[in-house]
Amino acid sequence: MKAALALPILVAPARAAAEDNEVGFTLLGYKERGLMKVSEPLVWARGRIAEVWEVEGSAAVDIVTGASPRLVSNAGGVPVQTVSGASINDRRKTGDVKVTRRLGDFSLAASGTLSKEEDYDSKAFGFEGTADFNERNTTLIAGYGKSNDRVKSTDDPTLDAPRYTTEYLAGVTQLLTPASLVQSTVRWSKGDGYYDDPYKFTITFYPQGQAALAADTRPDHRDTLSWLTRYRRHFPDAHGTLQADYRFYRDDWGIRAHTLEVAWQQDWGEAWSVRPSLRYYTQSAADFYSPVIPQPQPGILSSDQRLGAFGGLSPALRVTRRFDNGLVIEGTLGYVQNARNLHWGGNGSEAFDTLRAAYGIVGIHKAF
Amino acid sequence: MRLAVLSLALLLAGCVNVAPYQRGYLARGDMALDPDPGTSRALEKTYSAKEAASGGASVGGGGCGCN
Repeated sequence: MKAALALPILVAPARAAAEDNEVGFTLLGYKERGLMKVSEPLVWARGRIAEVWEVEGSAAVDIVTGASPRLVSNAGGVPVQTVSGASINDRRKTGDVKVTRRLGDFSLAASGTLSKEEDYDSKAFGFEGTADFNERNTTLIAGYGKSNDRVKSTDDPTLDAPRYTTEYLAGVTQLLTPASLVQSTVRWSKGDGYYDDPYKFTITFYPQGQAALAADTRPDHRDTLSWLTRYRRHFPDAHGTLQADYRFYRDDWGIRAHTLEVAWQQDWGEAWSVRPSLRYYTQSAADFYSPVIPQPQPGILSSDQRLGAFGGLSPALRVTRRFDNGLVIEGTLGYVQNARNLHWGGNGSEAFDTLRAAYGIVGIHKAF
Repeated sequence: MRLAVLSLALLLAGCVNVAPYQRGYLARGDMALDPDPGTSRALEKTYSAKEAASGGASVGGGGCGCN
C-alpha cells in the first residue's frame, strides 16, 4: 500500500530528563524474505540555547530496493499475492525541525517536516504545548498538526493527487513514584484525499468462467484514533528497568489494532546494558478488504494484505555501551513475523502471506 | 480497551508526589520515553510500513508512500 504513514516527529516531553545537547547517527538495515530491502542512514541533533530554547532536527534517506506485492490472483484456486516483476529502486529523503520555547511551567513548540520520493511528497507542520503542574509531577500535552501530501505513480505519470490530514493530540505525563512514570497520549486524525495504492490490483476467476480485474480502490477519507500509553519503572536492586508500551488504534475503515511491547533493560556495571524486548501486534481487517472480487463488484476494494486481519511478533535485543565522555553506542537486532495465525483469536485473513523480516540498527550519539 | 483504561486508572491512583531531589532514578537514560530518536524513528517506520496502525505520540510528522 502506498500509504501515508504518520511518521513520528520528536515530541516533548519525551524524556524524563534531557541532556542539554546531543548529536546522533543511526543506520537501519532491514531485509524481508523474498521481498524488499531497506537501508536508512539518519542524523539527528537536539540542543538547548540560552536555557529557554530547544531545537531538534533530523535528516534521513530511505533506500528501498527489491520486490513488492502487486497483484492478488486466485488463478491457482486460492488467492495469492505475487510480487512486482521489476525491482523497486526508490530513494526517499526526509528532514524535520522542531523549535521549543520554555515559558516557566509552560512550553510551546513548532515543527515542520518535508519528505520527498519519486512518487510521494509530503509537507507537514505541527504545534505542541505543555503545561507542568505540581513541581512537574504532572505535565499536560496538547498538539495540532496538518499534512499536505501528493500521491504520484511511476507507472502513471498523470497521477498527482492530494491527501490532506489534520491531527490533534492530547496527553499527560505523570510521575508515579521516585522510580516510575507513565505517559498516555491520544491522537485523532482526519484525512481526506487519495488513498488508493496505484500499484496494486486484484484478479479473480469465477467458477462460471468469467474473470474480473479491480484496481486497488479505497475510501477518499480516513479518520483515525491512536491511544498510546508508556510505562517506565526502575528496579534499583535488580539494576534494571521495565519498559512497557501499549497502543490502541481504530479508524473508520473498520480496522482495530492493538500493540504491546515489553522490554527489560538490564545494566551490566556502569558502561553496558542489555535490553531484550518482545512486541506483539494484532489488527482486524478493513471493511473493504478482500483477496477476491465479490459479485457484484464493489466500488471500493483492496486486496493489500496490510489491510487484512493478522498478527505479528517481533523479538529484539539491544546492547548499549556508554562511555565516560558522553558517547553512547548501541546495536539492535530484531526479527519480525506477521502471520495469519498470530491474529488475536486466531481467525486471521485466509490469504495472508506470512512476512518474515530481520533488521539491524546501529546508533551512536554523544551528549555535550 | 476497557482493560487499558482500568490499568491506567489504577496506575494514576497509586501515584505519590515526587520531590525534585527524589528524581535521580527518573533521570536515567532507560527511563526516558525517547532516549535515542534515531532508533525510535527507524523502528516506527519498520513496523508501520507493514501494519495499518500508526502514530500515537506526536503530530505533524507527515507521511510517505512506503511500499
